[in-house]
Amino acid sequence: MEALLATLVSGLVLGSLYALMSSGLSVVWTTLGVFNFSHGALMMVGAFVAWTVSEVLGLGPVVGILSGTLAAGLVGIVIERLLVRPFYSNRNMLLITAMTTLAAMVILERGAQMIWGARLKQLPHLVPGEVRILGTTISAHEALLIVLAPLILVALWRFTVTTNRGRSLRAVGQNQDSAALLGIDVPVAFALAFGISAALAGLTGALLGSIRFVTPTMGSEPLTKAMIVVIFGGLGNLGATAGAAYLIGFIEAFLILGLGLYWTPFVLFLLMILVLLFRPNGVFGGK
Amino acid sequence: MRRLLDINGLEAGYGAARVLNGLSVHIDEGESIGLFGPNGHGKSTLLRTISGLLRPTAGSIAFEGNDITTQRPPAIVAAGLIHAPQGNTLFGNMRIAETLELAAFSKRARAEAARRIDEVYALFPRLAERKQQSARTLSGGERQMLSIGCALMCAPRLLMLDEPTLGLSPRLKEELAAAIAKISKTGVPLIVVEQDVEFLLSLTDRLYMVEHGEVVREISSANAPDHEEVMRLYFGAEEAH
Repeated sequence: MEALLATLVSGLVLGSLYALMSSGLSVVWTTLGVFNFSHGALMMVGAFVAWTVSEVLGLGPVVGILSGTLAAGLVGIVIERLLVRPFYSNRNMLLITAMTTLAAMVILERGAQMIWGARLKQLPHLVPGEVRILGTTISAHEALLIVLAPLILVALWRFTVTTNRGRSLRAVGQNQDSAALLGIDVPVAFALAFGISAALAGLTGALLGSIRFVTPTMGSEPLTKAMIVVIFGGLGNLGATAGAAYLIGFIEAFLILGLGLYWTPFVLFLLMILVLLFRPNGVFGGK
Repeated sequence: MRRLLDINGLEAGYGAARVLNGLSVHIDEGESIGLFGPNGHGKSTLLRTISGLLRPTAGSIAFEGNDITTQRPPAIVAAGLIHAPQGNTLFGNMRIAETLELAAFSKRARAEAARRIDEVYALFPRLAERKQQSARTLSGGERQMLSIGCALMCAPRLLMLDEPTLGLSPRLKEELAAAIAKISKTGVPLIVVEQDVEFLLSLTDRLYMVEHGEVVREISSANAPDHEEVMRLYFGAEEAH
């Protein structure tokens, strides 16, 4: 019973992480129709900047995390401007941007290696101490991640549904000409979507940096999981994406409990292949 | 008389294909105009060029005395030059109420949003009934109403409607024509693209016949040609080529 509850909590932590990651991918996808392969690297940028500001400059984890979020957002806007925007009117935009964002990932990872070196780094916990949930003990920092993730998702959802600025992102994703004729600046909407998505990745990375190690390739494993999530939930609907994120988090946690770490990725990818074969539009139906 | 819109020698097209060949039209203050002519001869391209979706390769566009030839759509919309494009599908998964609120995007439009949304619902009660439905579920006529409603939310100083009754049943067409006439009566100048010349004559002050990206004829509604002459214009002009 105790192992079961511990697994539930661990699934919740993983689900929160994947939800933050995949919702950022979803924002870029619904606005630009681009899958951003540098999303994991942007997460790493957030973690490294947070570490530098917090530990090297000594400004503490709060300022560090805020700086990491902001820095990743800015890098995202630069990636959009230099590596995505030139290909908007290209017929093969999806394929080309897959390659250019992969290139961005490589550039960012190698760049981080050059700037920060290969030694493992870790951020301090944002909040010290431990918390007991469902009879298991986790760090207060992980508990914060569990609470923060749904709050951020709801804020993001409200932004895209209740504010004109947020709605403009959805509008541009569905019909660029109609949006432009309402006075929406399409390139600004693209940059904003990329910036928000990258900032979310940066925040996730900075929070993760005190649970796992901060390394140049720390983003690739969460990005792979986020890809499984979007294959399960689709990318068009924030709610479905978030739901799938928690589902994958729980599945992963229980697989680790039942099969161990070694076989878990194997089963997850097998599930992904099955979904692609039989429900190519995602488990939660729809188009 | 001052000119509201003044277009001179406009040339534009898609890639190597030039559609507008030195087209010149104007609207004086206080009047509305209609555009008609065969399909594929540049009427929609003209509207797309005016609203900045397409950049002209030659010629000039001035609105209220300001040169807007090289302006981008956001600036043109902010100036009040609003375009409801042909077959506007808008945003499939956005609800009607949301879409109308979004349409008041420019600063000037936002200030008038609350009043204008009531006016749009009064003009098109069907939209008011379907506020919470997404645009995807609307019929062709309702979608056209939403498109015009959005254009009104943009706080137009000049409203360009591209074939607002295209493909609609006679009854719906009448309903929309009546709504457009109502909009015109509130003092909003119009540029209307339509195939139905008699509808245009009743609605606007002057008509331009556009062919091969040029104005080939100008007609004043005051001394309007009769039905037969209109028919001759349409089909006779075609035979001439």
